[in-house]
Amino acid sequence: MNYSPEVLQRFDLPQADGVFPDETEGVVRGEAEDRSLGIWVRFDVRVHEGLIRAVRFHLYGCPHAIAAASLICERLEDQPARSLSAIDLQVVADSIDLPVEKYGKLLKIEDALLECWRSLGDSRATSEPGNSRHPGEAKDS
Amino acid sequence: MSARPLYLDNAATTAVDPAVIAAMTDCLGSDGNFENPSSSHAGGARARQLVEDARERVAALVNAAPNGIVFTSGATESNNLAILGSFDADPRARQHFVTTRIEHHSVLDTAHALQIRDVEVTLLDCDAEGIVTAGQVLDAITDATVLVSIMHVNNEIGVIQDIEAIARTCASRGVRLHVDAAQSAGKIPVDLSGWGVDLCSLTAHKAHGPKGIGALYVAGGVTLAPQLHGGEQERGLRAGTLATHQIVGMGKTFELARPERDGPRLAKLRDMLWRGLGEIDGIRLNGSRDRSAPHILNVCLPGIEGESLRLALADIAVSAGSACASDDPEPSHVLSSLGLSDALAQSSLRLSVGRFTKPADIEWAVERIGAEVARLRALANGAPAWCST
Repeated sequence: MNYSPEVLQRFDLPQADGVFPDETEGVVRGEAEDRSLGIWVRFDVRVHEGLIRAVRFHLYGCPHAIAAASLICERLEDQPARSLSAIDLQVVADSIDLPVEKYGKLLKIEDALLECWRSLGDSRATSEPGNSRHPGEAKDS
Repeated sequence: MSARPLYLDNAATTAVDPAVIAAMTDCLGSDGNFENPSSSHAGGARARQLVEDARERVAALVNAAPNGIVFTSGATESNNLAILGSFDADPRARQHFVTTRIEHHSVLDTAHALQIRDVEVTLLDCDAEGIVTAGQVLDAITDATVLVSIMHVNNEIGVIQDIEAIARTCASRGVRLHVDAAQSAGKIPVDLSGWGVDLCSLTAHKAHGPKGIGALYVAGGVTLAPQLHGGEQERGLRAGTLATHQIVGMGKTFELARPERDGPRLAKLRDMLWRGLGEIDGIRLNGSRDRSAPHILNVCLPGIEGESLRLALADIAVSAGSACASDDPEPSHVLSSLGLSDALAQSSLRLSVGRFTKPADIEWAVERIGAEVARLRALANGAPAWCST
């Protein structure tokens, strides 16, 4: 298997791996897995005032999956929370020269991010009843 | 340019010993023994003598009669010649072949070729350590059994089969036994005459000799149908101009090999590797601790995805499963036969030491593997159980 420089760099130094300290507020979690594809991924996303402030991940999977998760974490920072449900997978795939047979793993990574987005909605809906927007969005966004 | 990876893949192939290179080089140039060993002139006679000297050296290492050694291109060809040659020479209308699920693909794929010809094939299971017993062989033999083929040392997990007991069993039923000794010759004692083996495949490149040369031992009285036609070389069993330099290289390789000296040294390095890696939480040995070839260590590192493990250890040349299958995403058929899940099979590494491996190499490998396992496990912290079971 040949790997692009982007994959090799992110595999060696994934950057956004890990978790936030326990006391960190505004963190939502999303997780997805597929045993047949050999991937499990979990994202912790810290959102404040409708913006993604930081993202961390844990992942069991191949080097391309690690690189994809690392890249997505980096690109999500300082973006509106709704970006969690609007990742352009083809851009990610192109950035890391993802082999087509591994695309299913990228879909699992997307599933974990969508779960974060739903969790964010659930947490805000619970704390702010009556809010008609998606609770993850800032009112001025 | 990056540094050359540390080589711990000696079960895949080995670096050629300088003394072997020198012996081969002497057979190539215009001032050397380049002539055709079949030629009738003086140069041909000299080359022929070198071939016969090499035959004696190969035979001596495995305690066989020199006239039983047939040179081939390697163990794969030897396996094909032994199996297909036996079936083609057997007149019975109903034929049966017995082998194991953990053989090299050159045996398993040949077994499949026999199945297409309506030969009945029995694939014996191994136990959780990779061992097949003489009792299993006895139970599998029928009146139609033409051949039993069992490897001496498994190329992936290093387990040593009890060939002596299996040979006794086959002899008691009058069934021919073929042994693939590609991984054992030169590492552990091989006693073909003492054991009563009928056919045995050998190769040079696993023992610090060149690739492209091997041999099939054919015991006296064993008839085979040739699989290559076009010449009477090698008693008519293997047509083609004899490659003097390759054959001389194999002879020198087998002359240099000393299992009684090399085996304990290799085992010491392997044990050092296992002691060091044994510090890794959850590490498992694939194969048998008590019945293992001295140069092979196969370990499972639960919780580490296989492809990531291989990339993380790109500075160490090792095999995931077998070298022949390392680009194949399917788990190794040998590890699956031991009962490992797909995830565990793909989290396994085969490390194999050789004549040029140093203790310092082992220390460095242990440190590197430990560090990468810790890093990848931290990255997968919280992963579900299927990732490590």
